[in-house]
Amino acid sequence: MTPLHAFGDALREGLLAIPLSAVRGLFVALLVGLLIWVLWLPAKATQPPGGAKRFDENLKWGAAIAILIQIMIYSLL
Amino acid sequence: MLIAATNVLTFPDYAVILVYLLITLGIGLAIGWRLKTGADFFLGGRRLPWWAVGMSLVATDIGGTDIIGVGGAAYSYGLAVANFEWIGCVPAMIVGAFVFIPFFYRSGVYTVPEFLERRYNAGVRSVTAACWLIFMACNLGIMLLASAKMMSAVFGWNAEACIIGTALLVGGYTFVGGMAAVVYTDTLQCAVMIFGCLLILVLGIVRVGGIGELRERLREVENREASIVAGVSADASLPLPQQATRGSDPAPIDPPSRTSLILPVDTQTPFPWPGILFGLTLILSPAYWIGNQAIVQRSLSARSEFEAKASYVWGALLKNLIPLIVAIPGLIALALIPDLRDGDAAIPRLVGELLPAGLRGLFVAAFLAALMSSIDSYLNSAATIVSHDLYKRFIRPDVSDESLLRIGRGTTVALGVWALVFALLLTRMSEQSGIYAIFQTLMAFFQGPTFAVLLLGILWYRATGKAALIALLCGISTAISLYALNQPAVFRTLGWEPLFRIQDPFLYFSIWSFLVTATVLVTISLLSPPDPPEKLRYVFRFDSRGRNASSRAASGESS
Repeated sequence: MTPLHAFGDALREGLLAIPLSAVRGLFVALLVGLLIWVLWLPAKATQPPGGAKRFDENLKWGAAIAILIQIMIYSLL
Repeated sequence: MLIAATNVLTFPDYAVILVYLLITLGIGLAIGWRLKTGADFFLGGRRLPWWAVGMSLVATDIGGTDIIGVGGAAYSYGLAVANFEWIGCVPAMIVGAFVFIPFFYRSGVYTVPEFLERRYNAGVRSVTAACWLIFMACNLGIMLLASAKMMSAVFGWNAEACIIGTALLVGGYTFVGGMAAVVYTDTLQCAVMIFGCLLILVLGIVRVGGIGELRERLREVENREASIVAGVSADASLPLPQQATRGSDPAPIDPPSRTSLILPVDTQTPFPWPGILFGLTLILSPAYWIGNQAIVQRSLSARSEFEAKASYVWGALLKNLIPLIVAIPGLIALALIPDLRDGDAAIPRLVGELLPAGLRGLFVAAFLAALMSSIDSYLNSAATIVSHDLYKRFIRPDVSDESLLRIGRGTTVALGVWALVFALLLTRMSEQSGIYAIFQTLMAFFQGPTFAVLLLGILWYRATGKAALIALLCGISTAISLYALNQPAVFRTLGWEPLFRIQDPFLYFSIWSFLVTATVLVTISLLSPPDPPEKLRYVFRFDSRGRNASSRAASGESS
C-alpha cells in the first residue's frame, strides 16, 4: 500500500458515502446553473450583429431548449 | 470479434450503397473544382453555413465503430454509455458556443496550436501540434482498421479490400474538395446516419411491443443478473459485465441498472458517476469540443462569428437525439436477444433480425456515412496541422496561399497513404496485442493537459508561456505514468495493487493529468515574471478589464 493507494481509498470511501439521489441532484443542478447562465447572456452574445429579426435568430432559445431536454433526461433516467 | 457474417446483402442493398457513395463522391468533386487557395482548402474560404457546420460537428463525432460499439456498450452496460453523447457533449458545446468559439474565430487562427503560440510561445504550439498529429495519424489507421474489421465480420467483405476502398474514396474527395467537401459530405452523411439508425429504433420498438414492454423486459434481465450475482441462479449464459473486485474484498457488486444514466462509484462498468461528472463532463468533453482541432476547425470555417456560434448550438440540439438512435438499439437487442456473450454482436444481429433484404443497404450506408465523416475530418485537420503548424511555421513562413493549397493536398495524400499502410500493418497484429486499448487511451493522455493549458491561458491573464510548457509536459507524463502503473505487469512487479479498480479508467487519467497540469501552471506562473502585454490580447475579456488588468499583470500581482 503506497500513499497514492491510501489517498485513493480515502477519496473513494468519501465518494461512496454520497447517496445516488444527491449525485442526481448534482448533475441536474449543474445543468440548471448552465441554463440560468445562458438566459442571462447579453443580447450581443446570442444575436446577430443587427439584432434578431426572428425568434430562431436568438441563439439563447436554441441553447435553452437543448439544456432543458438534458434537465428532463437527467431528472428521469 | 465474434460476429458471424450473417447479414447477406442483396442487389437492392448494393444499389442503395452505390447511390450513396456516388452522391458523396459527386459532392466532393463538384466542390473541388472551385478551390483556389489554402484558405479555401483548410477553412472552406470561411463561407460555410451554420446548419452544415453543425451537422458536420455531429457526424464527425460519431464514427463508424460508434454505430456498432455504442449499441454494444449499451447492450453490455446499459444506458450509462449515453452520458458520452448527452452530458458529455451538450453543456460543453453550449459553453463553447458562447465563450470560446467566438474568441477563436475573432483571432483569425487556422489551428488551436496556432492560438496557443499567440497566447504562450512556440514551444507550447509545437508540443500540442505534435500530440494532435501523432494522435490523428495513428487514429486514422485505427479507424480504417476497426471499421474494415467490422465490415468484414458483419457483411463478410474482405478486410484489406475495405481498408483500401475506404482510404481511396475518402482520401479522394478530401484531397480534391478540402474542408468544404468534408463539411457538405458530412451533412449528407449525418442525415443518412440518423435516418438509417432511426429505422432500426422504430422497427425495434415495434418488434418488442412498445416502450413499456421494453422496460419490462430490461427489468427481467436485471432481476436475472441480480440472481446470478447472488449465486441463486445457475444461468451463466447472461451477458454479465466483467466482475470487478474491491481490493482484498472479493464480494461481488450488484449488476448495473440498464436504464440508469448515473452509476455508483463501485460499478462494474467503466462509467462510475465521479468519472462521468469530473472526468467526462468537466474535462474530457470541454477538451474535445473546445480544444480538438478536428472539431474547432469546422466552426472556424463558418461564414461569420454568429454562424460559428449557431453551428455549435444546432449541434447541441442534434446531440440530444444521438443516444436514442445509437444506444437504445443496444437495449432493444438486449430485450430481443438476451443471450449474446459479445456486446459488439448486438447491433449486427439486430439488423439481421429486423431489416429485410433491401433495407439492410440503408443501414450499411449509415455505417459507411459515420465512418467516412470521421475519417475525412481527421484527414483534413491533420493536413492543416502539418501545413500550418509545421511547414508554414518552421520551414517556409513566406509561403503563398496558393502554394499552401498544394502543400495541403500533398499532405492529405501522404497522410492517406500512411493511414492505409498503418492499417494494413495492424491487420497482421493480434487483436490481443492491446493496440486498440492503447490508442483509445492515447487521447486521454494529452487532452486533459492541453485543455488545462488552453483554459487557464484564455481565462487567467497571469498564466505564462514558460509555465504552460512545463505544466503541459508534466501533465502528459502524469497521464502516461498512471497508465503504466495501472498495467498488471507493472503493478505486479512492484508488488502493488492496481491504482484504479474499474475497467479502462481513462476518465480518471484525464482528471489527474488535468489537475497536475493546472497546479504546475499556476505555481510556476506565480513564481515567474508575467508575459508581455501583447500575449494578453488573447485572454478572455481582457479588453473589458482594460488597463487595470494590464497594470496588475505588469506589476506581477496575482488575482
